[in-house]
Amino acid sequence: MSAPRIRVGPEARERARLLANRSVSADELRVAQSLPLSEDERAEVLSLVRWFCRRYPTPAARLRYVRRAYARWTRHQPEPARGC
Amino acid sequence: MQASEFDEIAFFKGIERSGVRALLIGRRALVVLGLPVLTADYDFWIHVDDIALFNAAAESFGLLPTHTPEEARQRGRYVLQNDETVDVLVARSLTAADGGRLAFDELWLRRRSVSLEEGVSVSIPSLDDLIATKRVRPRPKDLEDIRLLEALRGVEPE
Repeated sequence: MSAPRIRVGPEARERARLLANRSVSADELRVAQSLPLSEDERAEVLSLVRWFCRRYPTPAARLRYVRRAYARWTRHQPEPARGC
Repeated sequence: MQASEFDEIAFFKGIERSGVRALLIGRRALVVLGLPVLTADYDFWIHVDDIALFNAAAESFGLLPTHTPEEARQRGRYVLQNDETVDVLVARSLTAADGGRLAFDELWLRRRSVSLEEGVSVSIPSLDDLIATKRVRPRPKDLEDIRLLEALRGVEPE
């Protein structure tokens, strides 16, 4: 069973865009940097890296994949989405 | 679906052959290192004296600057664009949100050259320096990227 689709209006999209692109304060940065990386988190990231590098063995292949993936993603956006 | 016709590997090759002191930063540098993240734009930090050379290399790909080299030097950044967007930093140094200072010349000395494929390389900052660039005007996604990059410490790059 798939999750119900939620329609997001332009105002909500704009709010989300502003939130995503807001500047982080020095305090927020300090707090974020004080949180140590857990072994589980590190292992998860390295597992993703291993998968990505196995699937796309050269940096050029990875860059090409990201271009395709981004183009696919923007096609499904209701309006031009930028700023990843 | 296909991405646009822009040949980014040829673009990187053109930059390399131009001799511009250019560091690939931003999320595309993360992708080079093996991190699967999405991004729209290209981000470079180039030497302030290499703006004209960089623009000339980009022009053959239809990328045009939003500012003259002199304006760019004063602003510290500009954009090259057509249907692609290349954000270009040209400041001699930057100050991070935590007060840390990054000087281009120092990052350039510590850079890594990464082979994209046979015959094409790109220069990226060292891991520590790439993390430091993420602390300049950070957004929430930069905090996430810092954690991803932190996880790569001690790992031999592909």
